[in-house]
Amino acid sequence: MFGLLYDAPPFLFSGDMNFPDVFDVIVVGGGHAGTEAALVSARSGCKTLLMSHNIETLGQMSCNPSIGGIGKGHLVKEVDALGGAMAMATDEGGIQFRILNSSKGFAVRATRAQADRMLYKQAIRSRLENQPDLWLFQQAVDDLLVEQDKVTGVVTQLGLRFKAKTVVLTAGTFLGGLVHVGQANYQAGRAGDPPSISLAHRLRELQLPVGRLKTGTPPRIDGRTINYALLREQAGDVPVPVFSFMGNAAQHPRQMPCWITDTNERTHDIIRGGLDRSPMFTGVIEGIGPRYCPSIEDKITRFADKNSHQIFLEPEGLTTHEVYPNGISTSLPFDVQLELVRSIKGLENAHILRPGYAIEYDFFNPSGLKNSLETKAIRGLFFAGQINGTTGYEEAAAQGLLAGLNASLQVREMEAWCPRRDEAYLGVLVDDLITQGVTEPYRMFTSRAEYRLQLREDNADLRLTETGRKLGVVDDARWRAFEKKREAIVLEEQRMRSTWVNPHHLPLEDALRVLGKNIEREYSLYELLRRPNVNYAGLLTLPGAGVAVEDEKVAEQVEIQAKYQGYIERQDEEIARNSHNEVMRLPDNLDYSQVRGLSIEAKQKLNQFKPETIGQAARIAGITPAAISLLLVHLKRGFRDAKAGEISA
Amino acid sequence: MQQQNADPIAAIATAQGRGGVGVVRVSGKEISAIAVAVLGKLPVPRHATYGDFLDEKGEVIDQGIALYFSAPHSYTGEDVLELQGHGGTAILQLLLQRCLGLGARLAEPGEFTRRAFLNDKIDLAQAESVADLIAATTTEAARSAVRSLQGDFSAAVNVLVDVLLRLRMLTEAMLDFPEEDIDVSDTTLRDKLLHDAQTKLQQIIATAKQGSLLREGAHIALVGRPNVGKSSLLNRLSGEEVALVSDVPGTTRDVIRQAIQIHGVPLHIMDTAGLRSSRDAVENMGMARTHQAVLKADLILLLLDADMGCSEEDWKIFSSFPADIPHLKVFNKADLIKDMPDAQREEGIYISAKTGEGIEQFRDQLLKLIGWNNQESSAFIARERHLIALNLAQTHLDHASLQVNMPELFAEELRLAQQSLNSITGRFTADDLLGEIFSRFCIGK
Repeated sequence: MFGLLYDAPPFLFSGDMNFPDVFDVIVVGGGHAGTEAALVSARSGCKTLLMSHNIETLGQMSCNPSIGGIGKGHLVKEVDALGGAMAMATDEGGIQFRILNSSKGFAVRATRAQADRMLYKQAIRSRLENQPDLWLFQQAVDDLLVEQDKVTGVVTQLGLRFKAKTVVLTAGTFLGGLVHVGQANYQAGRAGDPPSISLAHRLRELQLPVGRLKTGTPPRIDGRTINYALLREQAGDVPVPVFSFMGNAAQHPRQMPCWITDTNERTHDIIRGGLDRSPMFTGVIEGIGPRYCPSIEDKITRFADKNSHQIFLEPEGLTTHEVYPNGISTSLPFDVQLELVRSIKGLENAHILRPGYAIEYDFFNPSGLKNSLETKAIRGLFFAGQINGTTGYEEAAAQGLLAGLNASLQVREMEAWCPRRDEAYLGVLVDDLITQGVTEPYRMFTSRAEYRLQLREDNADLRLTETGRKLGVVDDARWRAFEKKREAIVLEEQRMRSTWVNPHHLPLEDALRVLGKNIEREYSLYELLRRPNVNYAGLLTLPGAGVAVEDEKVAEQVEIQAKYQGYIERQDEEIARNSHNEVMRLPDNLDYSQVRGLSIEAKQKLNQFKPETIGQAARIAGITPAAISLLLVHLKRGFRDAKAGEISA
Repeated sequence: MQQQNADPIAAIATAQGRGGVGVVRVSGKEISAIAVAVLGKLPVPRHATYGDFLDEKGEVIDQGIALYFSAPHSYTGEDVLELQGHGGTAILQLLLQRCLGLGARLAEPGEFTRRAFLNDKIDLAQAESVADLIAATTTEAARSAVRSLQGDFSAAVNVLVDVLLRLRMLTEAMLDFPEEDIDVSDTTLRDKLLHDAQTKLQQIIATAKQGSLLREGAHIALVGRPNVGKSSLLNRLSGEEVALVSDVPGTTRDVIRQAIQIHGVPLHIMDTAGLRSSRDAVENMGMARTHQAVLKADLILLLLDADMGCSEEDWKIFSSFPADIPHLKVFNKADLIKDMPDAQREEGIYISAKTGEGIEQFRDQLLKLIGWNNQESSAFIARERHLIALNLAQTHLDHASLQVNMPELFAEELRLAQQSLNSITGRFTADDLLGEIFSRFCIGK
């Protein structure tokens, strides 16, 4: 205790206390980013503390009750491949599973699930409570302890001081949160929870680049008041998809359908009539909202010629009647919300359980982050999730995992792991954030990934599990299952490359049935598999083709790799050509205004973003190849000057 | 210091224009494969090696001196290959294209010097000037790019990019937003846009080629017996527009090159004096070289005596030339056969170098055959970089048209097509594309 007293500042007052234990990693916030961060850190063996203002809301889905989707499902599978919780919790809580884009190519297929909020939260909570080396504590964090640009811990609302080597901040929309319903507004972290006002003030003092964003939710509806007979049913896929590499369909609870209805001209008239009391249209809301997730008032204004918009009625769970009407997020006054909901087919008698609202919150421009998600300003302090200007559970979870992992790596005195753009959507996400900054809430789309053909859901395990194992966050069970699958893929591919189909021994009817035409020379099974319109299952029915592998996932992977081979090889060449840029580092303290020949715009941009590598610099908007040349020359000059200095000294 | 960028780069190292000698320089890590492919063997480092420069079919593009420097003993400090050939721009272009086809990329402005500097090949005192040089070449490139991007070229490229963008928008919206009610079941629009983009790109390339014709000219093989009046024809053709630049000795003694201009289009005339059927072995050897020269021509002119017509021997020679090179029979001394009825005249053009009769029609015909389209009021003076980009984009659009049923591969080809056009239009990012999608479609379930 003596040591603690010695450390304590002189203004210690009665409520203050130094918590006796020192943690490796403290995670602030228990949302999707915070829980993955805490879990991964603890998995790696670091002594981890998860701080949330309310333990009951750990793993809460504050917005729509679904996980995954295009681009997002990809992220969830990546988090899963690194041992994360989101996919497994979804398997335990999912009440409707679908594969989107199933008629299109593998690279753009994505899993999406509706989740029972309670079951999902339970699945996350039980993982947190049972994770060795992880400790939970309920207290709001008001302040950070910083000594000479290095974070040393946090201070809670009660004045409790927790010491840590690293801190991961995942405060979500709670920083300076302001909820709007019509002209009324109040401070909150989300509807029903307090915001983190002190922490927001404190962070603003730290001179981090802060901005303001906005997001919104729709009013929730009591399912007992919905006339389902008038709606279109959307059932889940059969067979039911599974999210986690370690999951299976037997884990899924009872499955439920979603329902689809539409807005109509009358709905739009009602909305137009309420615009004069909309906080968005009257300028009360200053934060920027996402263009891909507009409020209903935004939609009808921007797309005035559209006389109808789809609404998905998503069940919130098996044990509740609450329904989430996806597509009518709004911050209009409550009376307008009620009227517009009741103008929609099937919702004529709907009872609103919770009003829709918009929320404005602080975020920190991620140009202030390294690609490890550590802040450039304060060593040991990591940011993840909505605080970085992203939106979505999946984006949050992905960053949480990465930030938690890198915090633990720093504690373990290992180099940070920063996946490249060609390795993972995780890499695309972080690289986009730090090189482009954020002007609207950032959401993942597959079109953001130039190497989309290799960043697939189906190979997330092959891309990342080995790395996860090396970094100490993939457990034995997953590793064994993974190795077994990977080995089976290699074996089957080898077998197909060395199994030949001879035109003389191939009956014409088989050739036509499986290949569509006869073959003119001998081909290996693998060569035939590369043809469009030829599939693995069909091929294996040819005489002499041997026995198909048992595991469908293995067969699928062999087939996908064969189909995309040409494209992937071409991309690999491109990646190899550019790889030197990604490893060539730029000094942290480089003053770009001193670089000869750079345009003023380039100087400003580079000073703003302070890229870590030449590759990052090249991706900043407005940085031309010529500017990169000038940078290289400048670096070389500096190097030579330094060398000359050494010699003369 | 840092790991260097050493992917192979290539460029024409000599100044634009029609010098006697032209140099294509290639630099990079492990470019021996390129050297072997072009020269048929790896030249001894730092020795001048005379030999053939070969295209992908093993045919001779040009003959000249090859110099090979292995790293680090070279200008850039990397492996360097210098191909010194004849100074005709078209030949140098072919040589450059060949190197690009072998995996080199076109060097950025100042890139050789930059690499030389980064590899400690340039003195510290020169460091400042390197930065200035890059800045200057960039400004210069920017200025000339702006110039070439003004007017029709820019307008045409922008129209093309618009179409491509709409196509990408449609494709990406379908891939990223399957749950939105964007109607994509109708493939007519997609097919129309793709076709539209391909057509527009073809037009731009065709017009840009007019521009390069204007800059680089065409190669014409003039075949005929010594006494049919080739010299007087050349003088007559060039007329007042002059430009009988010089007599440059050709690749072989048997081929004489002359340069003239017609309506501003430079024509490189290969006067193949000795071409005729012969059993003489030595003469046959000379003729083989003549044949090689003829094979690279854009147009073959067979000059004949109107009075004597096309003999069987002439016909034999004529028909031995490849069918895919346009050719024209020209009957000189038409003034001597004024009275010959049209019915007896052979297919071809009748002129008189002496009186000037038929020369105007001949000029027009000649320009038409080398692909010069005078109706095109303003040929684009597209830069080499632009032509490469346009051709690459065309390849990707062609690939895309084969992948319409595989939307993610279709999208990939479109992305690559647009990426190739970025060098003309500036960078277009994924975020820009998403912006287009959000402004066009109501996204957000």
